[in-house]
Amino acid sequence: MKINPAFVEKVLTRFIRDELKKFGFSKGILGLSGGLDSAVCAVLAARALGPKNVLALIMPYGAGFPSDIKDAAGLARSLGIRKKTIDIAPQVDAYFLRFPTKFRVLKGNKMARERMSILYDFSAREKALILGTSNKTELLIGYGTIHGDMACAINPMGDLFKTQVRELGAYLGVPGRIINKEPTAGLWPGQTDEGEIGVPYAELDAVLFELVDQRRSRNEVIADGFKAEVVDRIISLIKCSEFKRRMPPIAKISSRTVGHDFLYPYDWGK
Amino acid sequence: MKAVIVQMAPCLGDIKANLDRHLEFLDRARKDKADLVVFPELSLTGYSLKDLVPDAALDAARSPVFKELLAAGRGMSVVVGFVEERGDERGLFYNSAAFLANRKILHVHRKVFLPTFGIFEEGKFFAGGRDFTPFQAPFGKTGLLICRDFLQYGSSYLLFAGGAEVMIVISAAPGRGVAGPAGFETSRMWELMGEAMSYFSTAFVLYCNRAGAEDGLFFAGGSFIYSPKGERLARASDLDEEVLSCDLDLELVRQVRKKWTFKRDERPEIILHSLERIVRRYED
Repeated sequence: MKINPAFVEKVLTRFIRDELKKFGFSKGILGLSGGLDSAVCAVLAARALGPKNVLALIMPYGAGFPSDIKDAAGLARSLGIRKKTIDIAPQVDAYFLRFPTKFRVLKGNKMARERMSILYDFSAREKALILGTSNKTELLIGYGTIHGDMACAINPMGDLFKTQVRELGAYLGVPGRIINKEPTAGLWPGQTDEGEIGVPYAELDAVLFELVDQRRSRNEVIADGFKAEVVDRIISLIKCSEFKRRMPPIAKISSRTVGHDFLYPYDWGK
Repeated sequence: MKAVIVQMAPCLGDIKANLDRHLEFLDRARKDKADLVVFPELSLTGYSLKDLVPDAALDAARSPVFKELLAAGRGMSVVVGFVEERGDERGLFYNSAAFLANRKILHVHRKVFLPTFGIFEEGKFFAGGRDFTPFQAPFGKTGLLICRDFLQYGSSYLLFAGGAEVMIVISAAPGRGVAGPAGFETSRMWELMGEAMSYFSTAFVLYCNRAGAEDGLFFAGGSFIYSPKGERLARASDLDEEVLSCDLDLELVRQVRKKWTFKRDERPEIILHSLERIVRRYED
């Protein structure tokens, strides 16, 4: 679970720089929420590409989370990266005016997808590649909106657990305010990740590390002293979210099929 | 003799671009009076080829690519990694290493152990080699291994039993694990193997890993050379491209073997006899 943050920084900044170069881009774009993950990604991007080559989109829904907007803007200023603030309320409200719902998860998913759609639009306008900010914890338990915040061109942080992102953030000098902030997807006021997932990140990451990195079985992890109901809940979250980590299955009827046995490297010719 | 290890990052699936870089490195090495130049595994093609394997295949004896390499490597010994498909074995693709010297292909080693687990899928795309035989290189008896071959310790033993004084390992090893004090944790595994195998084989071990990244995998670099006494003579940086050069005194093999008689005392016939008994008992 321990990381050598200096080496991780070296690897991840190189990843961002090399991937952009391979695909002919010099600029990166990301959504900056005022939370930890996107802050760490912004620092890595600024160091990898130079601050002027990074565009941060701050995309609040109305004026619901003023301190997050302030933190995001403050970080962008201190890193010297470009920023643009876009209120997504008009486009989200326009939709729900036509199709009202009382389910806030539906509203949250819609917001995540509006942000994605704006990021992809600005990606094309600015010729900037989208840097994802999903961490390993979120990816494993599926705590993200498919085609929403999970959508990106490259993901530098997808192999770091949330607690490792925090360690890296502290090493990179992300402000303490952001490091110590209660993690939230910001889908509605008062929402917190830990409240929604039902397990604190420290415990969640410790169990995921045993199950995934160490490939230990459910019973072995429980024998280590983790509560059976927590371990079972985490295993069920992993199982139920595989669809978010994969391209959709294609019905195979020919002898060579995309996604099955038409197998080419992503970096073909790079 | 001056050995040069080219810890490069090939371009995936672009033989022309990779050949051009090989020719540049060889040109520079010749100016630096190198005797041996080692390129990494699949240096002419890149590693994660998948379905590109058949398109990247070369017949070393006939390929114009090898004609250019032989010309550029004149006066030196050169090891390159490539996808091999021989004219008399159509449709069989090997992950191979060629040893070139005196404008000839002196030896080709086909990777025997094809890792096929986790991130590795070589067994899906390559045929496996079947042999570990050292050959006479201009500077001494030499054996070639490719990446995973070296981690299966029987391979080094066979080169040792066959009389190798120099073991050349070419590699495309992705790094894993970032908890260590420096570099990827897997780099330590390779060094341990290099140290142990050079010591117990009383032979030089030259390990050429590649740099660069493919599809999110980072090749760890960290190429090295160990002496026949298990001493690390040189090590390249982690991750970065680097040309590592080192003077090797082959006389050291003799010096060390006077002191450590592992080679003299070796009894391959007993190993063979024991292995035969083990293999015969399979499925009993």
